[in-house]
Amino acid sequence: MIVLTNLVKRYQQHEVLRGVSLTVADGEVCVLLGPSGGGKSTLLRTINGLESFDSGSIRVNDIVLNAAVGPERDAALLLIRKRVGMVFQQFNLFPHRSVLENVTEAPIHVLKQSREAAVLNARRILARVGMADKEHARPGSLSGGQQQRVAIARTLAMNPEAILFDEPTSALDPRTTADVISVMTDLAASGQRMIVVTHAMSFARTVAHQVHILHAGRIAESGPPEQIFEDPQQAITREFLSEAARA
Amino acid sequence: MLGDVRLILLFIFAACLLPPVTSVADDGLDQIRLRGTVVWGADQEGGGPFIYPDPDDPTRLLGFEVELAQLIAEHLGVTAVFSQGQWDKLPDLLDRGDIDLVLNGYEWTSNRGERYGLSIPYYIYELQLLGRATDESLTSWDDLLKPVDGRKRKVSSLGGSAAQDYVEQFGGDSIDMALFEGATDAMDATALGLSGIDANVQDLPIWRFYAKGFPQLRPIGAPVGRGFYVAMTRKADQDLLRAVNDILLKALQDGRLHRIFAKYGMWNDTQRMRGLETDESGGFIGSPAPAADGDDQDAATVSYEPSGGWTVIQQRGGLLVKSAGMTILLSITAMPIAVFIGLLIALARLYGPWYLGKPAAVYVEVVRGTPLVLQLYLIYFLTPKLLDIIFPGMELTINAFAAAVMGLAINYSAYEAEIYRGGILSIPRGQMEAAISLGMSRSLALRRIIIPQATRLVLPPMTNDFIALFKDTAVCSVITVVELSKQYYIQARSAGAIVELGLLTALLYLAMSYPLSVMTNRLEKKLNQERRG
Repeated sequence: MIVLTNLVKRYQQHEVLRGVSLTVADGEVCVLLGPSGGGKSTLLRTINGLESFDSGSIRVNDIVLNAAVGPERDAALLLIRKRVGMVFQQFNLFPHRSVLENVTEAPIHVLKQSREAAVLNARRILARVGMADKEHARPGSLSGGQQQRVAIARTLAMNPEAILFDEPTSALDPRTTADVISVMTDLAASGQRMIVVTHAMSFARTVAHQVHILHAGRIAESGPPEQIFEDPQQAITREFLSEAARA
Repeated sequence: MLGDVRLILLFIFAACLLPPVTSVADDGLDQIRLRGTVVWGADQEGGGPFIYPDPDDPTRLLGFEVELAQLIAEHLGVTAVFSQGQWDKLPDLLDRGDIDLVLNGYEWTSNRGERYGLSIPYYIYELQLLGRATDESLTSWDDLLKPVDGRKRKVSSLGGSAAQDYVEQFGGDSIDMALFEGATDAMDATALGLSGIDANVQDLPIWRFYAKGFPQLRPIGAPVGRGFYVAMTRKADQDLLRAVNDILLKALQDGRLHRIFAKYGMWNDTQRMRGLETDESGGFIGSPAPAADGDDQDAATVSYEPSGGWTVIQQRGGLLVKSAGMTILLSITAMPIAVFIGLLIALARLYGPWYLGKPAAVYVEVVRGTPLVLQLYLIYFLTPKLLDIIFPGMELTINAFAAAVMGLAINYSAYEAEIYRGGILSIPRGQMEAAISLGMSRSLALRRIIIPQATRLVLPPMTNDFIALFKDTAVCSVITVVELSKQYYIQARSAGAIVELGLLTALLYLAMSYPLSVMTNRLEKKLNQERRG
């Protein structure tokens, strides 16, 4: 269970998040939609502490993260990051390591797995995302879609309770986007809990359990995809959906 | 988060404070006898007739001061051990306790007398004005005061010498001076008329020794500015000073001193002005027996023999190659330390709390903003004093090699820190974010992800610095480390083979730096390929 309660974040005078509360249940796929600058990525990045926040709280199972900085927060963050993975728009693979090493790095050095166990697990995961034949390649030699699938594998190797996807296909062309979406759909089907910031409407419509429309730092509307897409209640939602359809 | 880094910083700090140390005892006469050696300091670069490499075997030393040191050692019943030091730094070496005695043409002055124990003179020197043989316009000291072609006369001399003082007192504002580090350099420049130099003022014994090598120069007027060469001890070592006085007196009276100076063509009637010479029966010799040819000079059996060509390379090349070994040793020891300190400084500036970051920034500015030679000097001469304050009574000191490595490492660490900082800053922010979102602590992320990538980026500029460091080791001669450059100056000046040995020295430096250049290029190529995948 991930519970965000009344999150507020300011950049100087500007409020980026104005009291966001939402709950992601186990096994649930939660998609954040909304116009650019609405606070989607910021919200996602606060969950694993890449961004700080000014008030409110975040709970991941039994770990509570408060706004106050200090050693307590640092300790909580380290725990959350071990259990919650993150996939970036720009992949952020480690260019000085091979595909396989990218995937085994954290299991070996953070989870203290044996090298053999980590490699075995990494090969299984790379096969699952369709990258088994590239384990010795350097990230620089891969296409964007291939890199993003390795990045997902890298996150999966930590056996995360939830994965945060920050616009995972925005830097990709349509063909490789489809590969990545198919991996994500596959993951969702296996019961992987995830929170996804995306512009891929079809993914939201077919895979999400809950969709949240974020606008100007607030959740404008929440609901299952059928309701959001077929029967939006808020003017903001309708405007966003029609604009997204035109694009 | 940076706990381990902090620990390492602390360790480095401690390591800097306690470099390889050797304990020196208080070098009183008792200690010298206990040790069985008397350590005397001089600068071979000053050359003949004082102390210079034997042309037939440049690993051996010749010179009247070498023989004087042996004389003194014999009298004390110990062995004489020579210690190389830069001429103007010899008093500092006395203070540091590295040497017991300075024997290197140091003139008696009242200032020196206040700080150091000065012996009775072992030699009474005079100064000789030298002009070009072809220059008819210069025939006396007074001619120096007359401008030629509307410009003042220019006189060369050894910097910081009695000759410089004499010319300045004599000429005041009417004479320009050109100061040189080596006596033969000043004579060379005068013979060639470089930068408008008209004349040279030289210690008479130096002129006597080198006259054969400078046929373009001629003495002008009678010798002037009489003064005393004295041996120098620490002020506190009065027993040693008295023992030196005893043997000098004895050797003067029994003719041993006469024989030494005659060998180098330095004995003259001026030496008798002390009025201390006695004959075998103990009777005073008031008036010298007239010399056969009317000259007051005894014929020199040893003097300057300029050499050159292939012979000089064969004779002295081996010494240069050996000194190149010291250059390499200094560089390969100092550079890794510099890189390591540099990395820690860069990390402290980028990720450390303010109480590490601020001092690190100040460190970089201070170290970059002051000359290497000053840093070396401070480390070498100040560390023993600091150690004495921190650990009173333990008599700890730092040896010259360790001080040289430390100085070079500290100096270069500031540059490497900036290179590393730039390298780390150019790693995209997403790398750190990806690493910490995988549950890595910041220090683990730095170790495994950021620093390895940054290191690849900084290798080429650091190799460039490494090449620069090779050349900067030359500065270490100020703290008595004889490396390639110093050895070149010593050998080239005593052999008069500036060109031949200069080319060889340049070749040796090139042989050291060129492989590094090749390595850098290969490295860059490889890294670029890696980045492309």
